[in-house]
Amino acid sequence: MARKRSSAGRLTRRSFIQRLTFFGGGVVLLGSTACKRPAEEPAQAAAAPPPVENSPHATFTGLELATMAAACERILPRDEDPGARDANVPAYIDRILQTPELKQMKADFLQGLAALERRSRSMFKKGFVEATPEQQDELLTIFKDSGEGTGEGHFYEILVVLTLEGFLGDPSYGGNKDRVGWRLVGFDTVGTVAMAPPEGYDGPKCLRECGDHR
Amino acid sequence: MTKDAVDICIIGSGAGGAPMALELGRAGFKVVVLEKGAHYKPKDFVHDEILNSRRNFFMPLPWEEPHLWRQGSSGRYERTNSAWTANCVGGGTVHMSGYFYRLKPVDFRLRSTLGEVKGANLADWPISYEEFAPFYDKAEAELGVSGEARPHPFAEPRSGPYPLPPLDVHPIAKEIDRVCGEMKWNSLTTARGIISKPYRGRSACSYCALCGSYGCEMGAKSGTNASVIPAALATGNVELRPKCMARSIEVDKEGRARSVVYLDADGVEQEQPAKVIVVSCTAVESARLLLNSTSSRFPKGLANGSGLVGRNLMFSSFGESRATFRISKQKASRPWLTAPDPFVNRSIQDFYLMPDERFGFRKGGTLGFMWTHPNPIFAAVGLAGSGKEGVFGKELKDRMRAYRDSRILQFEVYGEFLATPGTYVTVEPGVKDKYGIPVAAITMDRHPKDFAATRFLVERGEEVLARLDPDDIERVGVAGETTILQHGTCRFGKDPATSVLDKDCRAHEVPNLYVVDGSFMPSAGSVPSTLTIAANSFRVASQLVRKLKKG
Repeated sequence: MARKRSSAGRLTRRSFIQRLTFFGGGVVLLGSTACKRPAEEPAQAAAAPPPVENSPHATFTGLELATMAAACERILPRDEDPGARDANVPAYIDRILQTPELKQMKADFLQGLAALERRSRSMFKKGFVEATPEQQDELLTIFKDSGEGTGEGHFYEILVVLTLEGFLGDPSYGGNKDRVGWRLVGFDTVGTVAMAPPEGYDGPKCLRECGDHR
Repeated sequence: MTKDAVDICIIGSGAGGAPMALELGRAGFKVVVLEKGAHYKPKDFVHDEILNSRRNFFMPLPWEEPHLWRQGSSGRYERTNSAWTANCVGGGTVHMSGYFYRLKPVDFRLRSTLGEVKGANLADWPISYEEFAPFYDKAEAELGVSGEARPHPFAEPRSGPYPLPPLDVHPIAKEIDRVCGEMKWNSLTTARGIISKPYRGRSACSYCALCGSYGCEMGAKSGTNASVIPAALATGNVELRPKCMARSIEVDKEGRARSVVYLDADGVEQEQPAKVIVVSCTAVESARLLLNSTSSRFPKGLANGSGLVGRNLMFSSFGESRATFRISKQKASRPWLTAPDPFVNRSIQDFYLMPDERFGFRKGGTLGFMWTHPNPIFAAVGLAGSGKEGVFGKELKDRMRAYRDSRILQFEVYGEFLATPGTYVTVEPGVKDKYGIPVAAITMDRHPKDFAATRFLVERGEEVLARLDPDDIERVGVAGETTILQHGTCRFGKDPATSVLDKDCRAHEVPNLYVVDGSFMPSAGSVPSTLTIAANSFRVASQLVRKLKKG
């Protein structure tokens, strides 16, 4: 019925993200902690450019998009059930980060992504996209365990939250293709029909218009 | 620019503000309602978790309109969006779950009942349950409440049945009734601010399962946006101005409230003079508005000569546990488990007041049972965990598949949140919101008895869950608080030295200023307070109408 707070002294970002705003949905916090981003992007010519995703994108460069998509796929890999790519999660993240209110999150995400790529090069002498799945998991685990208050930990948090939003959000945002995410968690079996937004509903448009309080 | 003067200017359109607008509009007075949020229509209410729960549809973004929060007066402030209730016409009643409990007679005389509790600012209410009860009746009728009264030791007196019969419930409710009966506890029907039958031109609940945290496109949820506000607008005397953010209340030379200065939807500063000004922005935000309304006459903030505005802040003490039933294991013995009915609507109030201090407290509270919220993103973020315990990859997907095979029953505990000298609201001049207005800063220092009582209630709830034979019981927490339920920052009472408002919720120091959200409550009760706030607002309105008609 209401938003709950853990009473543990300091609020962690995570508790913030997870706190209910009335039963069921934390607002994502955009912290100011960010990974150090080099003054200049390392020249991408240093390595053979990875294959660029061919989908249209707005937030990310081709390399960033490929890196992000590879990371999402490790969070929710395809197994006997569809994974992040099957659900078009990368397209969701690319679109949602165009939301004006999420400017800070976009900046944090891009910084984190650059840090992930740098860490991959220093540890494995190759970009995140070329790393093996095991190496990718090792990298993500390092970021995950960096703890709150670090840029790495913060990036991991945003990555997971956005991946889950793209996988389980309304398909109108570009993810959850064919409702594969809802099928995986059984959301399509609880009171199904009444739950769907009306025909032709445009989530991102509604977010810009309804969600805009100015 | 300065607008034409009106009789009443109300700030906020939720459980407190809307009933005032309705009653004063009905009585023929010219009313303006300022609401900082948007005026959503039923078509805006879609079942979209990202829009409703994960962005700023209802709640402001914490970097645009933060609250500050610290643990104890020596703690460090953190920015948070905690303790916001809503930003829209109808306020928190739009996305509430609508648990419409009444307070009990004992809540009105808690100080007399418990005696002095060390470290707590206990006070009796200046009115009794008996004086208040007719306005509960009125609020239930105006908003539309479904329920059935069942006898139990702490049942509050009622003049008659609920306006509407109870909502249909899931078969699990019968099981809860059975196990409570085995333990000699009373399983009660939770009254809901959701209409079970067509009512006053509104259509009935369609049992869609997305209720709390969503707006209701059917208009069946009894938010003021669907009930009281449309009725108020229909009087022809009420003008509603959404997207208007009050900055301050100005006073005249006599120290009477003169006008509200606000930023309109275009960000232009406006001034609305009124004969009477009513503040109803939630206990935290109303305190903030008064504290920000400084003048030579009120240097510490409007109506704050006593220094009490913002003091005695109370939320609701909160605990929660969950029981998971694995469908694949239980389907044979309980074929009804997967029934789609969204409501459980069962409560236990046998521990509302304890006979003695045996457990370290006397004031207990309420247990309410419900299915866990079906929001899938929220659930999955919980499954993913965090930090070193966090998981991704196959483990996360396995957990998501297990979740698909589950029905999860939970209870919520609403415990007494004792007012303490260390829990209060101030304003922080150095931190401003997107409007350039200093933000509310909350300091928390809770009373140990809150925790003892809440833990005790969680343990009782777990006894019920255990008897239902679930496959797993998980304790979610015993020491939280529900910051959406806010009370106490402008206490009402007889003595201006110990209260901000008088018996009619009029400021002792400002004769034409009223506060009608949860701010007035000297004790928060051990139930969600929405219905109480609405009922009190109807009570205050009836007194004010009488006073204005007398001239």
